[in-house]
Amino acid sequence: MSLQSAHALPRGARWWLPLLVLVVLLLVWEVAVRRSAAQGLVPLPSGVLASAVKLTANGVIIDAMSGSLARVLIGFAFGALVGIPLGLLIGILPVMDRALRPVLDALRSIAPIAWIPMAILWLGVRGDAALFVVAYGAVFPFIVNTSQAARLIDRRLLAAARALGAGPWILLRSVMLPGSMPLIFTGARIALAFAWASIVAAELAIGIKIQGQGRSVAGIGQLMVETLYVQRDVDALVFYMLTIGLVSLLIDAGLRWLQQRLLPWSQH
Amino acid sequence: MTDMQSMRRIRNLVEPLLGLALVLAMWHITSRHVANATLVPPPALVWKAFVAMLDDNLPQDILASLLHLAVGYSLGVSCGLALALLAASSRWLDAVIDPFAEFLRPISPIAWIPLAILFLGVGRAVPIFLIFYASIFPIFVSTLAGIRRVDPSLVSAAQSLGASRLIVVRNVILPAALPAVVAGARLSLGVAWMSLVAGEIVGGDAGIGWRILWYQEFFQMDRVMAGILVVGVLGFAADTALRLLQKHAGRWNPAQGNLT
Repeated sequence: MSLQSAHALPRGARWWLPLLVLVVLLLVWEVAVRRSAAQGLVPLPSGVLASAVKLTANGVIIDAMSGSLARVLIGFAFGALVGIPLGLLIGILPVMDRALRPVLDALRSIAPIAWIPMAILWLGVRGDAALFVVAYGAVFPFIVNTSQAARLIDRRLLAAARALGAGPWILLRSVMLPGSMPLIFTGARIALAFAWASIVAAELAIGIKIQGQGRSVAGIGQLMVETLYVQRDVDALVFYMLTIGLVSLLIDAGLRWLQQRLLPWSQH
Repeated sequence: MTDMQSMRRIRNLVEPLLGLALVLAMWHITSRHVANATLVPPPALVWKAFVAMLDDNLPQDILASLLHLAVGYSLGVSCGLALALLAASSRWLDAVIDPFAEFLRPISPIAWIPLAILFLGVGRAVPIFLIFYASIFPIFVSTLAGIRRVDPSLVSAAQSLGASRLIVVRNVILPAALPAVVAGARLSLGVAWMSLVAGEIVGGDAGIGWRILWYQEFFQMDRVMAGILVVGVLGFAADTALRLLQKHAGRWNPAQGNLT
């Protein structure tokens, strides 16, 4: 890249340089906080590490995470179940596309978390409300990508299959679905990332609503609210935050791996 | 011939409304069936609530949300752009910035809410911070990719004609990367809008998201529904504005306009 300066990086610098900067930053941070009066108010790197060990050992983080993840998976499955058939319908029939697009665009524009008051009213605070928010957010990436995929199917493949006597069911199963799978999978990755962000948001909102009315730590969001308002433990909060990031990385890596295993014909 | 054309025109007008009509009808029937205006406020009631809110504090709520968006988004986008330019200009900076961005990116803005509340207090700073944080990454990633795709022969051509570094950046690289920048800005806006609503609901004290929760405290569910729909309309309007901008930015540059 000619915009970049000519000095090449020393060998291995891409690996040790960011690590070095990180270590220096953390050390400076640790020392600065320990010397100031802000100790206990500002997270300490060593404190975050200690929280990580403690909360993993006593299972608090694992309980909360498994609660949230279970809800994400159910909401995600619901999104796939509704979104993929609807997307196929829209992609195959132009009439459906013209009729449904405006209303789907309108619904898609509503941030899922905005539904939280209605969801709490309909489904209660024990977790189902968060599930509704997640499912709502997960439907649209499936619809958008599946309809796009169905539209992009090579017409010649369809014509060839039809010429060989394939009925509509075989067309759908053997031509449409395999051809659409790569894009649908990309939609699934977007949906899952979106679902994971939505569950945390929904659980935070629910946690704030029922704060002080009997605790029910059902997920990572409620746990964070409790940590924030009851225990006031900054180090644990940072640890939870990092775990949320780690889980979304793992989810995405897992889906990429799955895509390569299941759909070797897809490009990404 | 004209008959066919007018038929088609009517069809083009009616078809897009079919889905909307269907949803409205289903909503109306459900509300009749449930017969509880708190549980499922009927469409007509929500419309009345919306009109009443227009005279009440809806305009000032929308203004508050737009202010959050304007401050947070412009800060976040300029930060993301600056970081992308820095990373593109030096291998050393790139080696530091890129891993940090990749490390922070999976931590969704939502996960920052508790810390933001702790350090900034419940108030306007929380949604603004979330929008800022959310907007940085999409435009950073997209701009960096756009700059790396710039045809190197364009850069060498400008350099061999004696262009300085500044001129190369301003007159060659930025225009060529513009479609990618705008595409990134649109992605940023999408995440920013979601963070705005979440930030206002969980940790704000103004704006349309906060107002939805406020009405819920009084069980004015017709107003809650109206507020939810306003969130949708505003999000849609913002995305449409940037989609038009994107079309405009990509038009003169077909080679890249199609890529992003």
